[in-house]
Amino acid sequence: MSRHKNVRTMNLADELDDYDGEDDYFEEEEEGMSPADKARMADGLRQVREVVGDDVPALTDEKIEETLWYYYFDVPKTITYLLNSVGAIEKKKQKKTVAPESKGLTKGQKAEKSSSTTTAIQKGVEALKVADAEKTLPKVPRNKIDVVAEYEKSKSKRKENANLVVIGHVDAGKSTLMGRLLYDSGVVDERTIQKYKQEAEKIGKSSFALAWVLDQTGEERARGVTIDIAVNAFETEKGRFTILDAPGHRDFIPNMIAGAAQADFAVLVIDSSPGEFEAGFNIRGQTKEHALLVRSMGVQRIIVAVNKLDLMHWDQDRFEEIKQQMSQFLTTAGFQSKNISFIPCSGLTGDNIVRKPEDGLVSWYSGPTLVEELETAKPVIKAIEKPLRMTIADVYRGGVINPVTISGRIEIGNVQVGDTIFAVPGEEKAVIKGIEVDNQTVEWAVAGNNVQLHLAGIDMEHLKIGDVICQADNPLVPLKEFEAKILAFESLTPMMVDIHRGRLNASGRITKLVATLDKGNGSITKKKPRHIGPGSLAVVNITVTGAPLPLEKGSKIVLRADGLTVAAGVVE
Amino acid sequence: MSTSIGQTNTHPTSSPFILQASSLSDHHRRLNTRPDIATTSNMRLIKQQVERDGSGAVTLYPEEPEDMWHAYNLIRVGDTLRASAVRRIVSESSTGSTSSSRVHMNLTITVDKVDFDSQAGQLHINGRIAEENKYVKIGAHHTLDLELNRNFTVGKAEWDSISLGVVKEACDPAEKAEIGAVVLHEGLANICLITEHMTVLRQRIDMSIPRKRTGSISAFEKAMDKFYETIFQSILRHLPIANLKVILLASPGFLAESLQKYIFAEAVKSDNKTIIGAKPKFVCVHCSTGHVHALNEVLKSPAVIARLADTKYAKETKAMESFFKMMQTDEDRAWYGPKEVERAIEKGAVATLLVSNSLFRSNNMNERRRYVQMVEDVKASGAGEVMILSSIHESGVRLDGLGGVAAILMFPLQDLDESDEEPVEGDEENSNL
Repeated sequence: MSRHKNVRTMNLADELDDYDGEDDYFEEEEEGMSPADKARMADGLRQVREVVGDDVPALTDEKIEETLWYYYFDVPKTITYLLNSVGAIEKKKQKKTVAPESKGLTKGQKAEKSSSTTTAIQKGVEALKVADAEKTLPKVPRNKIDVVAEYEKSKSKRKENANLVVIGHVDAGKSTLMGRLLYDSGVVDERTIQKYKQEAEKIGKSSFALAWVLDQTGEERARGVTIDIAVNAFETEKGRFTILDAPGHRDFIPNMIAGAAQADFAVLVIDSSPGEFEAGFNIRGQTKEHALLVRSMGVQRIIVAVNKLDLMHWDQDRFEEIKQQMSQFLTTAGFQSKNISFIPCSGLTGDNIVRKPEDGLVSWYSGPTLVEELETAKPVIKAIEKPLRMTIADVYRGGVINPVTISGRIEIGNVQVGDTIFAVPGEEKAVIKGIEVDNQTVEWAVAGNNVQLHLAGIDMEHLKIGDVICQADNPLVPLKEFEAKILAFESLTPMMVDIHRGRLNASGRITKLVATLDKGNGSITKKKPRHIGPGSLAVVNITVTGAPLPLEKGSKIVLRADGLTVAAGVVE
Repeated sequence: MSTSIGQTNTHPTSSPFILQASSLSDHHRRLNTRPDIATTSNMRLIKQQVERDGSGAVTLYPEEPEDMWHAYNLIRVGDTLRASAVRRIVSESSTGSTSSSRVHMNLTITVDKVDFDSQAGQLHINGRIAEENKYVKIGAHHTLDLELNRNFTVGKAEWDSISLGVVKEACDPAEKAEIGAVVLHEGLANICLITEHMTVLRQRIDMSIPRKRTGSISAFEKAMDKFYETIFQSILRHLPIANLKVILLASPGFLAESLQKYIFAEAVKSDNKTIIGAKPKFVCVHCSTGHVHALNEVLKSPAVIARLADTKYAKETKAMESFFKMMQTDEDRAWYGPKEVERAIEKGAVATLLVSNSLFRSNNMNERRRYVQMVEDVKASGAGEVMILSSIHESGVRLDGLGGVAAILMFPLQDLDESDEEPVEGDEENSNL
């Protein structure tokens, strides 16, 4: 099976960028065809021709046959692909009308797929390997856009785009709150919600229906716990938001870190029901740990959503109590009080999230709803003119036309179609052939955007989650050893730690405690300390256990050990 | 479950140096085969001859890869080593034509370099020939690869308590518990074999798993299935399941449970009797990451301690754990680093001394003596306990991170590191001898 995949990926990359192809290897493939395949090929060709017509000069018989071969004689797919590649607009209409007709045919044909094709394919692979070795990077026209200037120009026209991470203790209702937000703002339709409700009721978890908008894997649904971050986007009149729903369970903090690293600001969800707030707020609760983590990763603004107030009958005293305790803690954690705001709400009923609560329900509150509060958040200014840096959050097959797609958030710099990029660590180059921001195709993107980059000229194996994308002319040099200035959350000695940076999760070792520093002025208080106590600022040396990591001066890192966040800091 | 092959610990055979013709026919297990025969075998002491002045020789008969680890801890640069070897001999006839033949012989070398490959359990020793025979001259270089089921003899000018301790430990017939451990998190799995003295990373699996995305989770689920399958295959290939006492599956979240389910579902499908029979041996444990150092966490979890409390590695892990705990609760009773610990020993304050055996492998004789002295001092004091940790267990790796030596004290001592700043780096070694 993997070999099949290989054939597909390789060919598509070639195909898209290099139209004439190399005729010699087609012939070799043909040789390996069984008579049954040949018959099917002729049949498929006839069908395609019927749809496309004979008048298209760009589509030679050869080309159609070859495409049919890739799709295993799947006629609709072939047509879609061919039409897309030709790019003729009027053909698109035709495609729409024709595709459904041929559906019936396809099913039968798929079932027929015989094992005899495998041998042929293997031959094809061998032929391709030869061709592959000589392959250079495909050419994608680069429009040489001055992205910085374009960005300035478009500023007034565009809505500001902001990324927000939703954090909080396990079962605080983060996913439900976000599900509600997406539902009420129209991103998720009524039918889907109804479907989820029914399914959730079936397994006796009806209150989880809204969370299922974000918790999509079987494991997450069965257990009612978010495991990995879910990325969604929604738009209001004033702004566009990408929301990252983080898991609250302590085991999945690495995933939460990945989410927080992509965020401009945070929504901290708190369960206001009796005992639950306290559970999240105690020393091992995630309310505190998450807040400290997002702060140490550079998030400055935090919105505290005091959730589940419907269970408390919208008790003002409870709200004030939580507000008082939380603002005290958040201030000590390093948030400025002007950057902290509190919203009473209920994710399950939807009160005060998108819509104002029903009249009289919350007489004591007249402030903004959660969404209104989000809109006031000022965008963070990003260094868009600097060299590109983007940590890969995901690598996947973005569809038939885009065999290799990566996603992530651009941390620094800008990117445009046609750019040549490097994935560090690694020596492989790739060309960007398409960019999507919030599922819309764009020509360029800047720091702060959550993007999907469609790549050409690279295999999926060369891209790893956690790698950093750089421009080819300004690559980052991965580090094996580095010095970091850290804030300790737990007691530190020379020890093994997990190094986290966004999606990157690697094992390393604190080799040397260089010095502890004074928190006020940064001067050295003790050289070579024996251990570093919780809460102190220190400089340490860290060695990476495995391969060098894509870190550079200024990279923000989080250190964890034994399931606890032990420190956060910056690479010196 | 463990199949015990009845073996006594000492076999004083008459002459270990006689080449037995039958053994040449090569029926013995190769070094790099899996340690899947016996869990209760141990190195056999064939002959021990140590004089009053501490010089002498010991002949040992290794039976399993772990014995190579002991040999590695025993053989130092400067020692003599006698073992069987194969050497290619080129002879020139009177007409000038050359013919080469492979000759088996016993060679004695003076050790120059010791190399241990923990993956394969092989020990390579470089040295110069110390005893001439009709094929080789004195001073010629040779690399001996120690082989299982063949005697070797180590000669030392000075057998100290640590070296003799290694011999004793290696030949200790106590029942050994080997366990398998798989630590994993999404996309990363480490499959380890933990024996009494070694933790061997058998396989590391690092896969890129697409994350869940809105509307498309099939890629994620497919990749996870592939991930489990790879782990399962790797367990079958690398862990001698029938001989293991326990197989730990450790992960954050629910991965370990899912993996366990997958393993048994697959075992039933493929009718793998070994796995199905070993069902009670599989234990799911919680840990926070899939990196190898998570083994520290795994081995101290209650589920593991309940089953393996009396094994050496569990004790080691526990000792390291109590050291770190002490560091947090009463920092003046936990010290690490050679100088600090030395001072604590002088004051007779050491309750538990933790030393990594990597320190005794030092090629610097003076440095080695220094640590031997520390161990002997603590033992002599009568009050302290000494634990020598294996540097390739995770707990030993942790100790090595602290400089290889640490101590828990009976009473708090302050400022043991006081004069730290004064001596120049280079002087430190000598000033403390």
